[in-house]
Amino acid sequence: MVFSYIKMSFQKKHLLLLIIPLLSFSSHKYYLSLTQIEYKSDSKAVQITINVFMDDLEIALNNYYHINLQLTSKKELQNSEVYFKKYLKEKLHLKINDIAKEFNYIGKEYDADLIYFYLEIENIKEINTIEVVNKILTTHFPNQKNLIKSKVGEKHKSILLNSKNDKGLLKF
Amino acid sequence: MKKTSLLLLTIFIAGATVLAQENKRTKQGHTNQNKFKQLKDQLATPNSQRTASGAPGVNYTQQKVDYIMDIILDDENQTITGKETIVYHNNSKDELAYLWVQLDQNMRSKDSKTPDIQPNKISKKISKKSFNRRFSDAPFDGGFNITSVTNIDDQKLSYTINQTMMRINLPKPLVAGEVFSFKIKWWYNINNHRENGGRSGYEHFTENDNNNYVIAQFFPRLCVYDNVEGWQNDQFWGRSEFALEFGDYTVHITTPKDHMLGATGVLQNKSEVLTKKELKRLAKAKNTFDHPVLIRTQEEASKIEKSKSSATKTWKFVAKNVRDYAFATSRKFIWDAMAVNINDKTVMAYSLYSKEANPLYGDHSTRAVAQTLKTYSKYTFEYPYHKAISVDGQMGMEYPQICFNPGRPNADGSYSDRIKYRMIKVTIHEVGHNFFPMIVNSDERQWTWMDEGLNSYVEMLAELAYDKNFPITRGYPKNIVKYMSGNQSKIAPIMTKGDNVYSFGSNAYGKPATALWILRETIMGHELFDHAFRTYSQRWMFKHPTPADFFRTMEDASGIDLDWFWRGWFYTTDVTDIGIKNVKKYHTKLNNNNINFIEDTSKGLSFSPDKNTDSKFHYEITYNKPGGLVMPIIVHFNYKDGTSERKVYPAQIWRYNDKEVTKVFSSDKELSKITIDPYQETADVDISNNNWPQENKNKFEKFKNKLKG
Repeated sequence: MVFSYIKMSFQKKHLLLLIIPLLSFSSHKYYLSLTQIEYKSDSKAVQITINVFMDDLEIALNNYYHINLQLTSKKELQNSEVYFKKYLKEKLHLKINDIAKEFNYIGKEYDADLIYFYLEIENIKEINTIEVVNKILTTHFPNQKNLIKSKVGEKHKSILLNSKNDKGLLKF
Repeated sequence: MKKTSLLLLTIFIAGATVLAQENKRTKQGHTNQNKFKQLKDQLATPNSQRTASGAPGVNYTQQKVDYIMDIILDDENQTITGKETIVYHNNSKDELAYLWVQLDQNMRSKDSKTPDIQPNKISKKISKKSFNRRFSDAPFDGGFNITSVTNIDDQKLSYTINQTMMRINLPKPLVAGEVFSFKIKWWYNINNHRENGGRSGYEHFTENDNNNYVIAQFFPRLCVYDNVEGWQNDQFWGRSEFALEFGDYTVHITTPKDHMLGATGVLQNKSEVLTKKELKRLAKAKNTFDHPVLIRTQEEASKIEKSKSSATKTWKFVAKNVRDYAFATSRKFIWDAMAVNINDKTVMAYSLYSKEANPLYGDHSTRAVAQTLKTYSKYTFEYPYHKAISVDGQMGMEYPQICFNPGRPNADGSYSDRIKYRMIKVTIHEVGHNFFPMIVNSDERQWTWMDEGLNSYVEMLAELAYDKNFPITRGYPKNIVKYMSGNQSKIAPIMTKGDNVYSFGSNAYGKPATALWILRETIMGHELFDHAFRTYSQRWMFKHPTPADFFRTMEDASGIDLDWFWRGWFYTTDVTDIGIKNVKKYHTKLNNNNINFIEDTSKGLSFSPDKNTDSKFHYEITYNKPGGLVMPIIVHFNYKDGTSERKVYPAQIWRYNDKEVTKVFSSDKELSKITIDPYQETADVDISNNNWPQENKNKFEKFKNKLKG
């Protein structure tokens, strides 16, 4: 379990992994992101919605790209989305029916302490398998877990990935 | 030939009979699994100590423990040395052969078993500092060094230490009504909480080589003895917090002379420890209700922190009827104060912080304290103590009358809204803990949610009172959906011990706070809920309530049976998922003395044009409930003429059939849309089945449309 205060200081270069009891206010809820993948047969598109804890993503990106995002503040970096796109392209890889597919970055939304990302893969006639590689936040937060939930037709499949095991195969 | 066919026929008939008998298998019965079953099977039988109405009974008793302490803080070596006289009042009707004392610092001893119970793995990489701490540095020499345990006449007492608890083996049994006094001497090394975590410790500043101390769990103190657990018998493993008795404290704390200190209790010797200037400003603050007054300024503190006094001073406090004791001290502390009017009584709101926390703390800390006192007093009881302190302790932890809070601005003094709101949120939460569990003193070791959940709910009201646009991140029903709809193997019911759950924050803070929000907003309404909640708070102030007392009181005072709600929300990991399965449309036609209902089988929610124009619009709506939780069915009916109507069917609608129910809805106006729970009041985990006609737009498509439009 990580001591959330140390992470709040964006100056900190090293993120400490400690075994400590959680404290009374427990504001850091869980090192869990959720990636929802849904196939829309009418539009032949794969819709991907990712939600990530804003603080952690900001720390990771600030560290990674040596920037100061200041998300949701008046001083928020004008081109913050450039970095979001870059980061997602690097950390998230999808193969549909064993063929690597690029996704389109549709946009992002802030909701309290989460960021929602909307991505889309078009022109998919049918889906038999989806291979997901999800390395979001795992470099900076070794305890990070990335839950993938998918829906193709009537079938629901999910898989929980983490820093040691960042690739999974969903079969439909 | 005939014989063979006769034989075959006989065999055939015989076989068929056997088959028929096998098909007539005995049906299995079942026990009462109805969701509205009363909760008696889960709750302890009421008795004369805790009644069926949820109030303390005529024979309710609780122990009282007083402490007289002398504490020395050694700033050079970061140690605490103490001696105490403990006066234990056995107010129970039972004879006690031994007393149990808590030694919480032992959780940090070299031989502590806490690290042993944490699962861990090898990560791909960690910082050098972490590596050293885990694998090569000498372990921290924490834990209490008990140097003497004696009776009041200084004769040795027999004692047995079991990790974080110590049993005092009484020389003779302590009978009902008797008092036993004894003395303990000890010392321990204070931990660096910024590096090693903890609910107390010091933060080191390399500039000027100073420490901010936030000190708690610093003394051996009594465990609770009651009629629910007997003696507390669960160790302090580090997560589940404390069960403590009320009592009176007389505490003397010796610190370096240049320190500024805040602690539980009324300061008895202020002219000995504060300067004339500080005393004057403090007097002014006692009459200033609209802005914080600085008692020690940043300029003064910055000067003081540049050197170290070798002299000492002793702070003397008396605290009556508190369940614990804590203090914070540093030569870096700035102190500001503001008076707060609570029903014509003046309560002081104080903040202690070092310059690194300014201007964030200067702008918001004391104001947040004041708001908390006002809001919580409104919804529970008048704050009974004389002050509440918020300390820049860089953690989130609560003690009677004093709490340690997080948040610092950026190095240039700027701070984002997020930093600001998080600091205020936690401050409200920690100060709020004065009410739960410092005064409504539930057993935190057993039930984290009883103080954390209740506190997190009232916190929401205080946040909205502080700033009506406060970004609330925990407590709204839609915010708990992600947790509740997660992997079942990682979720536990609220009624599970805090030590044993994943997602501790959601389990013990978010979900119970959401439960109370739903009860107030949707099930009971503000008036009934507020009255019941206030009744509970006042029944159990300065006492020890259990979950049953809370559940019973909320029903007793409101006249609403909530057993179905407690059972589903607190005892299971079921989710809310209510939807519309089908809608049938009917119009009527007169036929002699009867009315015939004629179904309109056209597709969609609209009636076909050849509907009888004299007839009302009749809809037979089938609601279904894929989720296990019982909730009222909140329906918004939208009419073609642009008007709308809201109807709430009470949860009892599900009492016959837990999966499906049909209701007739009739109107002179034609419906255009039916929506279930449009304001997301019930934590519905799947809103794709909440509309009729069914909406096919999910969150993704709604976002895409928003971009286009």
